[in-house]
Order: sequence, then structure tokens, then C-alpha cells
Amino acid sequence: MWIFLLSDALSFAGLLLAYGILRGGATVWHHAADPVHHLPAEPELGIAFTAGLTFLLICSSVTMVLAYAAVVENKRKQAQLFLALTALGGILFLCGQAKEYTGLYQEGLHFGASHYATTFYCITSFHGFHVFSGTTYLIVMLIRVGMGKYDGGNYNHIEICGLFWHFVDLIWILVFTFVYLVPSAPTGG
Amino acid sequence: MAHVDRKQYMIIFLVLGVLTALEIGVVQFKSIDRTLMLVALIGLAVTKAAFVGLYYMHLKYETRILKLTIAIPMATPAVYALVLIAEATYRALFRGVS
Repeated sequence: MWIFLLSDALSFAGLLLAYGILRGGATVWHHAADPVHHLPAEPELGIAFTAGLTFLLICSSVTMVLAYAAVVENKRKQAQLFLALTALGGILFLCGQAKEYTGLYQEGLHFGASHYATTFYCITSFHGFHVFSGTTYLIVMLIRVGMGKYDGGNYNHIEICGLFWHFVDLIWILVFTFVYLVPSAPTGG
Repeated sequence: MAHVDRKQYMIIFLVLGVLTALEIGVVQFKSIDRTLMLVALIGLAVTKAAFVGLYYMHLKYETRILKLTIAIPMATPAVYALVLIAEATYRALFRGVS
């Protein structure tokens, strides 16, 4: 799993480096309104809402590690509860991302319209796909824990699932900073 | 080897929450120098990511060889980013100088 995560991390590194190069080299990153061509300003990304999503992922990392602890200590019910809460965190995150995409699209942030829009959708949707995969993985593990597959302190599969979920959280911490928090320069990116 | 420390997990959770709040606080100060803000934001993000990796992914308790296997390749894109930033800064400072 570590080697897979390493290759996955390098994929994200490639996306973030490309983002940095495009943004650093741009004369205009976030387009203001263009009255000549009747184009509205590109919408700003919502930091407050996304900070909520970030906190949600952090909470789901805690429940994941508590699920792992419960499996190690052979507490099946507790493990089920924490795994279910972790999966719920993933589902809520995806709902939040869908809401964010819908709002931004309606405000005029369209894929392909600018580097600002395209890199935003590429990076966040790639991460969103990881959240979807991770949530599916968690639900499968939840079912398997319910079937008693990990009774008796057999925690290896849960630990591996946890590694993937924490990785999803770790990557989001970086994406949140670079895509949402880094302010635009007075001129350019 | 399983490593379970619930108290530590909750402390890390609090630390991550506080660091996230700090990040949000930093971006509210529009008057801060942009370079200083970037350093603060990247420092906070890397610290948070390190806490997740070391304590939730238990990297702190893994073998030295695994730690190096992860750390060395991950340092590569970071070094590349620093080289690009240094190159862009050089061009900005010495614009017009061949």
C-alpha cells in the first residue's frame, strides 16, 4: 500500500506543480468582469465552506484511526460504528463537493474557460475520485467487519484501508492550501 | 506491530483543528506581506500533513528503511518546486539583465 500511495502522491505532485507553474506564469489568474465582451467575473472559491469540508475530513481521519484501534482491541461493534462514521464523512464530503461544483458552475466557472477554472476542476475532481474510492473501500470493510472477518485482532486489512483514507485527508490538506488559501498576487498569479 | 494510543489520536485531532483555524486566520489578514503569508500557509499545511503521516498513518513507528523509501521520493517534487521558485525569483529580480 505504501508504494501505491507513493505513486499516487507523485501524481498529485505533478498536478500541483503544473498548477504552480501555470499560476506563477500567468499575467492574469483570476479573471475580473469584462464589460466589453459581457463576461462576468470568475467566481471566488469559497474558503469558509471548504474549510468546513477540510474539518470534516480531519474528523473522518480520527474516526478511522479509532476504528483501527477498535479492531486491534477486538471490539467489533465499536469498529463498525467508527467505520460507518468515517464512510459518512466521505459521503458528506462528496455531497459538499457536488454542492460547490453546482454553485460555481452556475456562477460561470466552466471547465476549459481558463487555467483558473480548469486546474481547479482537474485537481479537486481527481481528489474527489479518491474520496469516492475510499468511501467505497470503507463500506466494503464495514460489511466485512460485520461478517466477523477481522475478529481476534486481525487488523492488517483495516490498517491498509486506514492508510488510504488518511492519505486522502493528507492530500486534501495540501490541495486546500494551494488551490483555495494561497491569495492572488496584485498582478498575475 | 499494532500501535494504538487513543489519547495521542485525540491530541493530534485537536492540533489539526487548531492549525486549520490558524490557516483561516492567516488569510484574513490581507495586509500581511504575500511572501510571508505564503511561507506561513505552506508551513502550516506541511506541518498538518506531517502529523497525519507520522501519527495517523503510523509512519513514526515504521522502520527506518520504509521512512526513507517514502521521504526521499516525496522530497523530489518539493525540491523541484523550490528550484522553479528560485529560478522565477532570479528572473524577476534581474529582469532586463542578460
